[in-house]
Amino acid sequence: QVSAALREGRVTPTELCQRCLSLIKSTKFLNAYITVAEETALKQAGESEKRYRRGQPLGVLDGIPIAVKDNFNTAGIETTCASNMLKGYISPYNATVVQKLLDQGAVLLGKTNLDEFAMGSGSTDGVFGPVRNPWSYSRQFKEKSVPKSHSEDEDSNWVITGGSSGGSAAAVSSFTCFAALGSDTGGSTRNPAAHCGVVGLKPTYGLISRHGLIPLVNSMDVPGILTRCVDDAAVLLGSLAGHDPKDSTTIQDNFKPFELPDLTDISKLSIGIPKEYHAPGLSSEILALWSKASDLFKNAGAKVIEVSLPHTRYSIVCYHVLCTAEVASNMARFDGLEYGHRSDTNKSTESMYAATRREGFNDVVRGRILSGNYFLLKQNYENYFVKAQKVRRLIANDFVKVFGSGVDVLLTPTTLSDAVPYMEFIKEDNRTRSAQDDILTQAANMAGLPAVNVPSGLSERGLPIGLQFIGQSFQEKQLLTVAKWFEKQVKFPMIQLEVKRHDHGAFQHQKSASFS
Amino acid sequence: VLNRRCVEAAVMTGLALNCSINKKSLFDRKHYFYADLPAGYQITQQRVPIAVNGSLSYSLCIDNKMSQMVTKTVRIKQIQLEQDSGKSLHDDTRSQTLVDLNRAGVGLMEVVMEPDMCCGEEAAAAVRELQLILQTLGSSQAVMAEGQLRVDANVSVHHPGEPYGVRTEVKNINSVRFLAKAVDYEIQRQIEELERGGTILNETRAFDSKLGCTVPMRDKEGKQDYRFMPEPNLPPLILYDAKSLPANLNHQQVVNIDWIHERLPDLPSVKRGKLVERYGILPEHSFTLLNEDGLTEFFENVVKQTQMKPKKVIGWILNELLSYLRQHSLTVKESPVSSFLLADLLNLLEKKEISSTAAKQVLAELWKGEGKTPLEIVTEKKLELIQDQKELEQICQAVIDGQENE
Repeated sequence: QVSAALREGRVTPTELCQRCLSLIKSTKFLNAYITVAEETALKQAGESEKRYRRGQPLGVLDGIPIAVKDNFNTAGIETTCASNMLKGYISPYNATVVQKLLDQGAVLLGKTNLDEFAMGSGSTDGVFGPVRNPWSYSRQFKEKSVPKSHSEDEDSNWVITGGSSGGSAAAVSSFTCFAALGSDTGGSTRNPAAHCGVVGLKPTYGLISRHGLIPLVNSMDVPGILTRCVDDAAVLLGSLAGHDPKDSTTIQDNFKPFELPDLTDISKLSIGIPKEYHAPGLSSEILALWSKASDLFKNAGAKVIEVSLPHTRYSIVCYHVLCTAEVASNMARFDGLEYGHRSDTNKSTESMYAATRREGFNDVVRGRILSGNYFLLKQNYENYFVKAQKVRRLIANDFVKVFGSGVDVLLTPTTLSDAVPYMEFIKEDNRTRSAQDDILTQAANMAGLPAVNVPSGLSERGLPIGLQFIGQSFQEKQLLTVAKWFEKQVKFPMIQLEVKRHDHGAFQHQKSASFS
Repeated sequence: VLNRRCVEAAVMTGLALNCSINKKSLFDRKHYFYADLPAGYQITQQRVPIAVNGSLSYSLCIDNKMSQMVTKTVRIKQIQLEQDSGKSLHDDTRSQTLVDLNRAGVGLMEVVMEPDMCCGEEAAAAVRELQLILQTLGSSQAVMAEGQLRVDANVSVHHPGEPYGVRTEVKNINSVRFLAKAVDYEIQRQIEELERGGTILNETRAFDSKLGCTVPMRDKEGKQDYRFMPEPNLPPLILYDAKSLPANLNHQQVVNIDWIHERLPDLPSVKRGKLVERYGILPEHSFTLLNEDGLTEFFENVVKQTQMKPKKVIGWILNELLSYLRQHSLTVKESPVSSFLLADLLNLLEKKEISSTAAKQVLAELWKGEGKTPLEIVTEKKLELIQDQKELEQICQAVIDGQENE
């Protein structure tokens, strides 16, 4: 919608950009952004405007304000990964996906907050502080929350965004941008999407280039797409997917961007409900919503069957071994010598490394590095790493079998519950939380499959709940078509944000929410 | 991202060394922390390298005489592709180390030989032959002094019949000559140590070219666990041959072993054989021709331009030209005497216009590089052979008369 508005001249890119920038200022308390690139964004908006005036926009994305998670390299703009290790680091190049967006004329508003080095499921463990879920400030949530006693800070019961792409999700959810890039290694795009009520797409591994995405787990990372509706996600996907010679893990096949059809007849569709995803700890609300969704499909004529992915319960442990091993390897480059933080110690190279890494990394990162190195030791390699790889193969095969039996798409919950209040979340440590929260999302990363979170309803507390669709390798079109149909049926309510605007009055949220 | 040219070079080298090329090879990360390794790991091929089980034949002269040559073979264990690290320059006076990262990440080809050699001479001959092969293939210019070819020698000693002893690794060898010295020194050192009742440590030693000995290196790593892990960013390297090449794959996208095989240039051993056959020279001559950069070409050019038989020409090339070049540390390319000039001179000799002694004198003049032709020098110095019988008689008579007068 907003793209059409830009083309028709109803609004200019500069106005759009300015509105977003001022909204960012008004919502600063959300802590969604680490860096706001005001000057460059306005410049990009200005250039976009010139193109529109000439009648030559670069495409649908020209002039559209977007945000990028702070673990993507952006030339000339600080890239920190929410870590002391990279504070002040200004990247000399753009990640391929960032470059693609800029080449299409998108306006880069800034870098969003995350868990340090994308490790976490709350977006609470970065050095710039936690991200607050915009829904904490929505009328929907406030109406349902138990009034607190006067002495307590009104602000203390805000809920988390989920993670690790919490900043991106919050940015999209609070209207400060029209789309955002996140990353997804174990669910890091889908989890916050579910908690913030936005669409979170994890593409098939190998479809979108990882060049310039600071790696966590090379064999599972993918850039993630966060938008307010499924059509927008398809548009972003179209502009990002495709082979990149700089990333040897992208597939060579030509990618053709697509538009999503409006499904009316779903009788040929087969939806699988994996029974193992009825995980311990799954809230009754989500279970009910999941059930309702599957009924929705059934009543509309689709085939809905229960399927089994028997190795699901091993995936968390397997993920931990492989993830920490790769993390230990990928973090080895941060030694303080070439870039980033360097400790003042100058006794010896080794002591400088040790001090730099102790000072630069938080506990979560250090913990994972230590575990990972343990698993990679010669005496442990066979028993842990190789075994985990074998289990990974079994998990991937589970999916192959199920899809091979005629199922088109799987329907599962995305999270175990709605967003938890921050104060409660931090009572458990990162590792425990991750182990709990990743359970529904990370098998898709293990198998490299595409998956998308679609906001499906509000919980009793007035917070968003999302459901996840998992598709077959490189079948994003089918996956998103089903997601789009579902989205239409569900009619997820728009957030009613109650925020004092930076320049004038209470915020009107009725402006166009999507750009397609 | 994998460099195609590196893969091709490795395949060429593997084929030239009679290796089996692995159609599927894998990449791994070898982790250790060091200032010249910016990523904290080196990408290498630990599990499955690109080529295995080859052999390298080289020749040795017995008794230092060029007349008797023996052929020996050393087995090639494997060839693997890996990344180079940066370069560390240690400034001991200021207790600091400077790190040059320019070469970090550049592709390297590591050729691993089995311990089939038994002395410095053999090692040097094998490496020399490898250098020639690499230069012929174009895989590398293999100049040791410039670090294009780096050689680490692993040396151990044992009594005949007993298992191999503990080995040490000797690094910092900058030329083929030093290689022979280093190996021989280390063999001696180990023998002396063992005869004293000591033990050999499995350590890394550096060759000190000034002192001609090996010294223990700073303990870089100790017994390290490199925590090998498959490199997740590089898919397995798949190579094809004519049989396995799928029809729909773009020729530009793949490396075809057979295609490379067909285009291999003549290897040194083949070249030498051809020289012997074509020109009737001795095998040891062919070695010298190939060992000196540009000498073969020079020789062949002279042969083309003269009527003198190659068997005779070779003497002039090897005994006169080469020794002069060596005396003055010149390369063939820098020779003040061109093949044209030499051919010219040899023609005079062949036509019997001058004697061979005279020819050598002319050559000595030609070295000065004053631009005179052989004929000019001959005329100037009156070096012509006199054919006229009468004239000779007169000269002889004059000499005899002269003698009588004393």
